[in-house]
Amino acid sequence: MATDLRISNISKIYPGCIANDNVSLQFKSGKIYALLGENGAGKSTLVKILSGVISPDNGEVFLNEKNLKLSSPLDAKKNKIGMVFQHFNLFETLSVFENLSIDATEDNKSLRLRINEILKKYNFSIDLDVPVLNLSAGQKQKVEIIRCLLRSPKVLIMDEPTSVLTEQETEELFISLKKFCDEGILIIYITHKLKEVLSLCDEVAVMRKGKVVSVSQTQNERVETLANKMVGQKLAKIKKKINISKNKDEIFKVKHLNFYSDDPFETNLVNLNFSVKKGECLGIAGISGNGQNELFQILSGEIITPDTSIIFRNKEIAKLNPKQRREYLMAFSPEDRISQAAVPELKIYENVALNNFKSSNFFEKGLVNEKKIKEHSKKILSDFSVNTDNVELKSQFLSGGNLQKLILGRELITAPELLICYNPTWGLDVGAINYIHETLIKINDQEKSTILISTDTEELLKLSDRIAVIYKGKLSKIMPSVEVTPEKLGVLMGGGSID
Amino acid sequence: MSLDISFIGILIGSIMASSVPLILAASGELITERSGVLNLGVEGMMIIGAISGFALMVITDNLFIAIVGSMLSGVIISLIFGFLTQSLLTNHVATGLALTIFGIGLSAMLGKNFVGIPGKEFPILFSSLKESIPFFGPILFGHSIVLYFAFALPFLTNYFLKKTKLGLVVRAVGDSPVSASNQGINVILVRYCCILYGGAMCGLAGAYLSLIYTPQWIENMTAGRGWIALALVVFATWSPIKVLIGALIFGGITILQLHMQAIGFRIPVQFLSALPYLMTIIVLVVISRDSRKIKLNTPTSLGRIFYKEK
Repeated sequence: MATDLRISNISKIYPGCIANDNVSLQFKSGKIYALLGENGAGKSTLVKILSGVISPDNGEVFLNEKNLKLSSPLDAKKNKIGMVFQHFNLFETLSVFENLSIDATEDNKSLRLRINEILKKYNFSIDLDVPVLNLSAGQKQKVEIIRCLLRSPKVLIMDEPTSVLTEQETEELFISLKKFCDEGILIIYITHKLKEVLSLCDEVAVMRKGKVVSVSQTQNERVETLANKMVGQKLAKIKKKINISKNKDEIFKVKHLNFYSDDPFETNLVNLNFSVKKGECLGIAGISGNGQNELFQILSGEIITPDTSIIFRNKEIAKLNPKQRREYLMAFSPEDRISQAAVPELKIYENVALNNFKSSNFFEKGLVNEKKIKEHSKKILSDFSVNTDNVELKSQFLSGGNLQKLILGRELITAPELLICYNPTWGLDVGAINYIHETLIKINDQEKSTILISTDTEELLKLSDRIAVIYKGKLSKIMPSVEVTPEKLGVLMGGGSID
Repeated sequence: MSLDISFIGILIGSIMASSVPLILAASGELITERSGVLNLGVEGMMIIGAISGFALMVITDNLFIAIVGSMLSGVIISLIFGFLTQSLLTNHVATGLALTIFGIGLSAMLGKNFVGIPGKEFPILFSSLKESIPFFGPILFGHSIVLYFAFALPFLTNYFLKKTKLGLVVRAVGDSPVSASNQGINVILVRYCCILYGGAMCGLAGAYLSLIYTPQWIENMTAGRGWIALALVVFATWSPIKVLIGALIFGGITILQLHMQAIGFRIPVQFLSALPYLMTIIVLVVISRDSRKIKLNTPTSLGRIFYKEK
């Protein structure tokens, strides 16, 4: 039976921001629809409304011309609207089967039978009796999909599904989605990745600042046209001159890095050895959860591991804490901007002061030198084009992109010799990503080095001079980035071998 | 030494009796915590249960009403906690502490007229078997119905959490309230129910003290047992069976060290008094070493306030 989903004049207003402004769209089964937009464009609000998590201030949703009242997630479920959230809605400590059985109406035996049928039909391989926290991101997503399929949905909404997947897992996902589509399920695919829209979807609706700005057939679109619609302006292309000179000094050298943890949420690292040359960017690829967190914390000095040797500018720094490492001109930009890099409740200048050096004189005789810190902060805000000049603003009111600019600015204003960053553009929109990438390239141009730990393959290929892949705590051999393709990276990130 | 076999039987029987309030309160609190709510008001709810049970017994002269009433009073006082933390979104820790202070004060006030009144004998089951079978008699028989219930409770709790749909829902809410809410589970309702159940069990634990264990009302008669119950839940890493083991060890060493003091061992009394606390912690830490299992049993959202998106 054909499905027809229509949303009409949906509006949702939050204090200080119009998340959805009179959004009307129509979807029909048999096609895959893309909902494209930057962060904050209102895509997530719209899908939360469709899945009943939040209710709109205005507007209606029609499924096959029936007006739906979606006031709770249960309503969406009853009306056969399935939803796979970007941040998985799974219970980590429960087993896969328990996760699936929690809202089932049938008994466990027949449920297990039905799950096995689905597993077989779509070629998924998942152990039903292990706790979800042991699964990879791709498997977790499959669990979410199975949960939707169990309710034989008419509509399946996927919210940024590939942000945690490898190339191979993405391909598998696309194959499954096309299968679902052929079976008559209406698929709405939310993303900010342009290439995915072109390769997967039939129709694309672009959202910007809460409004739908365009609806079109994907066959009439190209990456550039979609990008311009999404951002609302022309974007400059950035290209890095790859640095392949072999005889430069090694500025940073890691030997025998081992890390062992009892914590099932942490990954062990096994004998990592690598070095970074002057003016070089070393990229470390991998799917999140393969040891990047631990590696970053060891490189920054948050975790000290025994028997590891880290030589930086000809000094052994393996036993130094983050502050001491900073004094030697290292700088760090962690993945989690809100909880690791900055304190959201503190004002901008206070966050800047957190990164104090002997030379910066932020504190005198135990007292805060507010004037000096504020001057210094102002300089960061203007040098790194953060869109405010108010250093008294609480950091939590900055958008992700501006907060990241502030953090990078704070780290870079001391002219460090080595910057280690972990997913610096995670969750940012295209404009901010461009700015951060330009900044990182500039660092290399000034003969300073960077280590870029990232889960974004495209970013790594764009910025790195050499690339290695981390998988289950082991590092692949380091390859010059000119020899690396996205496919090769994908194989290595999934644990395969390319030789 | 008079350590003959029947004496050991009587000793074990008395150890079991002394651990009942801990088992009841800790089992109740365990369910509350498994749903992600940290209620530090256990001591307060117990003492309220103790005075309401005793007062109702004196007023109505009916033990059944007294027991049910004590549980109801636990429910009512935990409802205050539930309303504050779940509906008004107050901090769990602060609210729980306030509940304990409130409970101790209120019980002292209500209990003024009941000090010195003798309690009523609580019926014990199988009293003839207790006398006739050596060793096993005093262990298995001659207890109140509440004791049998208390010893079944950890197993029932375990079964509830592991095997039933509702138990699964409770664990899911404790793991991730946001996901649970997005799955259409009414998180606030589940947490309310768990809080009220915890209150009922704490009320019963209090009534056991004032009606059965030492049948009389003494101000502050729970004497920190609520805090021990809270600690048991954490050190038992949210496993009902380990709560039972911990409660027995605590009860056991409390009784044994009293005997040791009476016999006159040349060990400082202060050390002996501290022994139950020390040994319980050591034993529970040793049996709960598997960090993987701890992760799987720990309610991830414990103590965190849950806001529902609107």
